[in-house]
Order: sequence, then C-alpha cells, then structure tokens
Amino acid sequence: MENKVAIVGVNLDSALDIEKSRERLIFDLVRGLMDDLGIEPTDVDTTIFATNDFLVGRTISNVFEDSPAGVYMRDESKVEMDATNAVMYGTMRILSGNYQTALIVSQGLCGHQVSPYLHISYSLNPIYDRQLGLLNELSAAAFQARDFLTKYGFGDDLMHAIAANSLANAALNPRQARQLPDISPQQVSESPYYYEPLRELHCYPPTDGGCAILLASAERAKELTDKPVWILGLGSSMDTYYIVERDLTVAPSATKAAKRAYEMAGISDPAREICFAEIAALFAHQEPILAEALGLMEASDAAEKYQSGETAIDGKLPINPSGGALGGHPIPATGGFRVAEATLQLRGEAGKNQVKDPKRAVVLGQDGICAQQNSVLVLGI
Amino acid sequence: MEELRETYITPVVPLDFTYNYRVGQYMERFLNSLKDKKLMGVKCPECGKVFVPPRMFCGSCNQKLDEWVEVAQTGMLANFTVGHVVLEKGARLAKAESPYVLGLIKLDDVDSLLLARVEKVAPADLKKGMRMKAVWKEELAGDYSDLDHFEPA
Repeated sequence: MENKVAIVGVNLDSALDIEKSRERLIFDLVRGLMDDLGIEPTDVDTTIFATNDFLVGRTISNVFEDSPAGVYMRDESKVEMDATNAVMYGTMRILSGNYQTALIVSQGLCGHQVSPYLHISYSLNPIYDRQLGLLNELSAAAFQARDFLTKYGFGDDLMHAIAANSLANAALNPRQARQLPDISPQQVSESPYYYEPLRELHCYPPTDGGCAILLASAERAKELTDKPVWILGLGSSMDTYYIVERDLTVAPSATKAAKRAYEMAGISDPAREICFAEIAALFAHQEPILAEALGLMEASDAAEKYQSGETAIDGKLPINPSGGALGGHPIPATGGFRVAEATLQLRGEAGKNQVKDPKRAVVLGQDGICAQQNSVLVLGI
Repeated sequence: MEELRETYITPVVPLDFTYNYRVGQYMERFLNSLKDKKLMGVKCPECGKVFVPPRMFCGSCNQKLDEWVEVAQTGMLANFTVGHVVLEKGARLAKAESPYVLGLIKLDDVDSLLLARVEKVAPADLKKGMRMKAVWKEELAGDYSDLDHFEPA
C-alpha cells in the first residue's frame, strides 16, 4: 500500500486532570490542527470519531462532538473502539476514492470524570465473571504478568526496568500526562502493589486527553504538507474473551494483525526494517509480549534488551520513545496517541524524544482484557 | 479577548439502572448443579477441550458444545495473585482491608482455568502447581457463591 494515504497533521493533549470540558478539548485539538495546516473544517471531507459511550456516560456519545470538531451537518461517523481503528476507517474511506481528507478525533476523560477501570469491568461476562466479582482489568493483568515472568524465569526487576524506560521517556515528553522526572527502577519497585506482582507504576495512570489526526490522499497531501507520513500497512485481529483459556504470555491476535500490516507494507524482517515502535502497552509486562508479537524481539531476550538500553530512545530499537501508555491512557484515544507520536518522530519533530533518522515505524493499539483486540499500523516516510 | 476560566462545578451524574440478563440454559444447568456440589462442564466434539463454566460454542472450532461432563473438584494452582486493592463496583480503586489471594485453578481433566479465591495458604507459601481442592459453602443455594474457595488438598 505504497504512498496512497498520508498522515498530514496531528495534534494531541493529555493530563491527569486536563481542566477542560470534553467539548473544549475537542475544539482546541481540531482548531489547533486546522490552524497548523492553514485549512478550515470545511476543507475536511469526512470525520471519524473514536469515542466510548460507556466512558462518556451517554449513548451516541458523539452527539456533542460535531460542533466543536467543525463537523456540524457534514460527513461523519464513529467507532466505539481504540482510535487506531478510526485511523483504519479513515484510511479506507480515502482508499475508496470518494474522500480526499479524513479527520480522526478521539478523546477520553478517565482522569477526572470517570474511572478508567469501568472500561474493562463492564466488558466482563455479565452472567459469570461480573457475578463472581473477582476478575477486573488489574487482577487479569497481574495473572498475565506472573505468567510472563514465570515462563522465562524473569524477576520483578524486569517489570521495574520496562516501566522506568517508558516513564523516563514520558518525563521528557510535554504531551504526556504522567510526569515523573528522575524516575528509576528503584522508585518503580517502591510504588505500592495493586495485585502482585503488579505495582502502581507498572500500570497506566487514569488519564484525560485527546488527539486529532488528519489523513489525506497522496494528491491532497502534497498540497497540505511537505512532510507526509505514509500509512503503509494495517491489520487487526481479536483473541478470545476468555483469559482462562488463553496463553497470556503471547499475543497471537497482535501477531496476526502485524503479519497483515507488514505484508501490505512489504516488510519481511521487521526487527531489521522497523526503526522504532509505539506500542499501547497498558502494563509494563505487555510491552515485550506485544513487541514479540510485532516481530521486534524474542520475549525471552527481554531482560537483556531492556538492561542493555537497546529499547531506549538512543538504542538500537527504541520502544515507546514517547513514553507509551504508562505516560497516559486516555481511553479510547491511546492508539491515536501512538499514531500521532510516531508521526512526529518520522517528521523529526519529537523534540527530546526524537530517535535518530527513523524511516519506518510500527504502531499498535489495543482494547479488551489483557490486550484481547489488537490493531497494527506501519508508517513510513 | 480575555480567556474564560473553566469552572469546577461538577454535578454527579449516576448511571444506576438494572439489566436483567437471562443466564441461558447452560449457566442455569451449571448453577443448579452447584446445589448438589457438582461442577459441570461441556466438551467440544472437535478439539475435545472441556470448558468450566460451560458455554454454548467453542471459539476456535466454531462448534456447538453439547456433551455435558461432570468434572473433578481437585486440580492444581496454575496462577495466583495477591490483591492489595479492591475495585469497588468495578471502578473505584481502594485499599483492601487485608491482602487476599486469587487463583486460577487447573481442574483435573478440564482445559479452561477456573478463577476462585484461595484460602488456608499464606501468600509466601503460594506456588504454581500446588494441589488444590474445592471448598463449598455450608448452605447451597444454586448460586455463583456456592463454590466458596479453593484450598490446598
């Protein structure tokens, strides 16, 4: 899928408490993006929202989003999933030939408005898991972490190292919500337990935030930017809901999604051809599991990779140079944040988080319990 | 133009309504058999896997599951976590009164794992592979909580 659909502009903002209404956040994101590009909302052919009715607390949760996004009485649709899926939807609309530009808008206010844990708690099977009341996002992630550590004989120190890698990157990034300067693995290890072996700083923080991303056809992209970032491949897949029959140490749905995306992008050796990865790992241990699924490393090598600095911003294969989802998880915009951060990297505009001369990136967005659903995009310049 | 300051008036907007799910024939049979201290599962005709609690379809084979089997009430501890928090109503993170143990139990001859509370073992003594047995409530009501917990066998 060479050079057909480009990301031509991104805008993102997040905080633990953003001190804005949802509508104001959307207006600022979209207006900011339009001003950057020197266009008006009337120049946008179609808009896809990624928003979550349950977390907004109202059905048809895009009902109030049209006006601040400049979409009033214009072409608009919505996905009720992670924003990577909205990017895919927008990409397909452009590939249809009927649209030249597609605006993606996603936001979530789980920092100050509602608990982020509702998202998974109320995805649970209502006639069994919710009746028992033992399973939740955090206890499930703890089982996954224990399985992962046990399988390879890793200690908790690997979790601290992975989290510290992400959190240190997040502290350099003004677009991230969780700012912990001078974070160390030691500090991670001293944060309180949620469910053993999972500690507070192994987990994403409740986050407010949103992003706006403009996609364009090749022809329109030339007019809008001299730094287009191309969407080269995409794929998505869903594993079973039942974590009690999944091997939680692997993410086969992410593997399948990545395989399709890489095939489309003509990538046969991702570990060599991909320059960096933006992965929505909501918990520290998910990063190597998902990185393995993306063909970037063997999870069994995780301790060596993280301790040698290979995954750091200046390492051989930077993972989450932005700070990833441990820096912020504004459900369901998180995957959109990964796309936007990867775009800034490929344009050389990632500031203190910039990796050196990247050409190809892989982005993963996830949803569901223990990364049940995965969407993968390959981006390049 | 003067920047308008956002205000912090935050009305509480509860969503408190009730869904009346029907559990369906499978879960109904499972719950009813709890009254007789029996654990019932279903077996896939294609892959042969046994699932407890039972469900109607096998995801990987796309087969209807209709062979019922009574399964053993013993097994091994396949995974465990010590909870230091609780999510009240599934959402608000609060410190647990005291740490508690959750286990994923691999019942003998069952392929799916069963999530349950684990008791009578100190967190420091927990080990994957420990033999476990089901412990029932004294008064059985055909309810989810009839199977009270697992403990070392």
